[in-house]
Amino acid sequence: MASREHNATTERSDPIPAPDASPLRKRIVIPGPGRGTAILNSASLAICIGTALLFLVSWLVEPQSVSHSSVLGMLPFAAVLAIAAIGQTLVIQQGGIDLSVPGMISVTVVIVTRYPNGDSGKLAAAILFAFAATLAAGLVSGLLVSRIGVTPIVATLGMNALLYGGVLQISGGTPRTTTARLHNFASGKVAGIPNTVIIAVILTALVAFLVKRTVVGRRFEAVGAGLIGARAAGLEARRYQLGAYVAAGALYCAAGILLAGVVSTPSAFQGDQYLLPSVAAVVLGGTSLLGGRGSVVASAVAALFITQLDQFVLTTGAKDAVQNLVEAAALALGLAIYSVPWRRLFDWSRRRRDDEQGGVPVIADVGRPSQGKQGAQLAPEPNK
Amino acid sequence: MKTPINAKVDLRRLLVAAMVAGAAITVAACGSSGSSSSSSSGGASSNSSVSGAPSWCGSKKVTIALADGFGDNNWRRITTGEARDEVKKCPSVTKFIYTDGQGNTQKAISDIQGLVAQGVNGMVVFPDAGKAVLPAIRQAYKAGVVTVPYRVFPGGKAGQDYNWFISTNFEQAGELWGKWLLKALPNGGNVVNLGGPPANSQSLDEYNGMKKVLAANPKIKFIGQTPYNVTNWDPAQTQKVVTAILAKYPKIDAITTDFGAALASSFGAFKQAGRKIPAVATEDSNQLSCDRQKLLPTNPGFKLFTVDSQNWMVRTAIDFAVAKASGGQIPSSTVVPQKPFEDSITKQPHPPTCDKSLPGDAFLSSHLSHSQILAALNAH
Repeated sequence: MASREHNATTERSDPIPAPDASPLRKRIVIPGPGRGTAILNSASLAICIGTALLFLVSWLVEPQSVSHSSVLGMLPFAAVLAIAAIGQTLVIQQGGIDLSVPGMISVTVVIVTRYPNGDSGKLAAAILFAFAATLAAGLVSGLLVSRIGVTPIVATLGMNALLYGGVLQISGGTPRTTTARLHNFASGKVAGIPNTVIIAVILTALVAFLVKRTVVGRRFEAVGAGLIGARAAGLEARRYQLGAYVAAGALYCAAGILLAGVVSTPSAFQGDQYLLPSVAAVVLGGTSLLGGRGSVVASAVAALFITQLDQFVLTTGAKDAVQNLVEAAALALGLAIYSVPWRRLFDWSRRRRDDEQGGVPVIADVGRPSQGKQGAQLAPEPNK
Repeated sequence: MKTPINAKVDLRRLLVAAMVAGAAITVAACGSSGSSSSSSSGGASSNSSVSGAPSWCGSKKVTIALADGFGDNNWRRITTGEARDEVKKCPSVTKFIYTDGQGNTQKAISDIQGLVAQGVNGMVVFPDAGKAVLPAIRQAYKAGVVTVPYRVFPGGKAGQDYNWFISTNFEQAGELWGKWLLKALPNGGNVVNLGGPPANSQSLDEYNGMKKVLAANPKIKFIGQTPYNVTNWDPAQTQKVVTAILAKYPKIDAITTDFGAALASSFGAFKQAGRKIPAVATEDSNQLSCDRQKLLPTNPGFKLFTVDSQNWMVRTAIDFAVAKASGGQIPSSTVVPQKPFEDSITKQPHPPTCDKSLPGDAFLSSHLSHSQILAALNAH
């Protein structure tokens, strides 16, 4: 894991501004080395530890849920979710949210099963067509959001409805069976590792490298972290926003193709199961829903976490309601870890304790006048 | 004191909360669907059947409609094909109208109202939304349109809210599975039952039917969740559930499920776990029979029993509607029986049949011809 010691040679690492840099550009805060360039930042370490703990608990409570065949059955689904979650991460890093995940995945599944109709020879053309369709859909969503200023939630929800229309038009409600070649590929293994996992790892590494270690990637994250600042710095912010939706489209397509292979007789709306989990993976991976810094590696690990959690609860034989509750609780916990201001809460309770013990209260806003109710709470009057 | 950033955070949280709530509502909404229960009310019929046509075809010229709650899957397409084929048998039906509610209750309601406004004489309704469409059905009935809901119980009473409700008994399907399990597992064994969304009456009825038959035979045991393991009738979820069950239970002798094509998706999981596919009792599916043909050499224990998918059930509903509207002879029973279709043990009424010239989503139990099935599946 790269850390602060790592001397990355990205353009931002140089404290001396480039000769052509305007004074304005100097002032914006752009993550440099040790400030988010790590492929897996410290904040997202939590999900890695969490996932390791989950596997440990699975092994202790229900050893069968981490048996060889169970893990091999779970991994392809984790891989598909991971790829979808990477796409969702890119969009969320740009302060957006992509609700067209189900439509994108479903339309891909339908295209790569319906057009070849069992004929493996036509698979390549169908895959190209699927990529063209999802890239076009991503482009339209991206244009709507970045150029016209439509709210991401509206633009992508609308796109999802359009894609569902496409799914029905193409499939008539049922896709055909997956072609033998795609099924064999998706269920195949290299050195005991499922192909789907290899693809997911390669895509994760590729996107992580692009975002964290290239100029374009650093700018991409900078735009997400502070749109106004990035604009002021002369970055063509809209281009990066647009890029996020298009790249996400391509990733959803990849996820859809693998899913069509994993599920040999898919339903027409096979992508339905991926909307909430894809957002959940991003949140659990520690990427802020406000955009900006994030880690696609952490999102991919979170996808593994969610899928294993699902498989673990299924193996315990818990009722469906319990399954939903456990998953919801995991999501709530993940949200709480990142979004509750723990430090402030901790400081506040310590101050209260000190106050009750008659100690000298620590005044939070030294040098600042008390600001209404909140200020009064933070710095209560002594001898009240 | 709220900064704009805080406001934004709140919005995001609200959004996530809304999405969670939305998902919860969807799950809840999907979990309900009614079925079964039957009642009938005779209607005065003038018995003036058209010669050369079936007895239910009266002489009065009529327009007949099929108001589908949802039309876009293979089962519905073939069913619509069956309905079209059935009305063709009666020359008195001058026009046949089909409406697709697209899974949208409001559209389904306005479709029914629109058909009344168009002056149809008889209407067969697939009330997917159950009681939600009952007021529209009642309105049509009160407006003098012969109204025949079928398969999903809309509530209300025959003769009061509609003319007849054409039902089937899913418990009967369960009984057929149970009887076959007794044959397939003479020494007893472990059975896993897979069903649809939580609390759906079809999967529940099927389980109760099996229990009834198997109660006297304690050697056949249900393992995993009862009444059924929830799969939401989703192939991917089915695959996950089967993977979990295979991991948990070292001995599975039979699987029963009301969605055979989805089960076909999880055959890979058996291979992965190094296990053989056990006996399967389900509804007929071309996909399943074709997969079995391929897998049989390596899975000799893969016995198969299927019940008829009942696409032709709509024909009974059409017969009732046309008979009442055109003055033909009213058929006798509003309950459509569940029938066995394929049985790999007795080969009766059919051995498992794979028709490679038809797509996997075709139902061979349909009463349509080969070319009619293809046309129905490809209709847009």
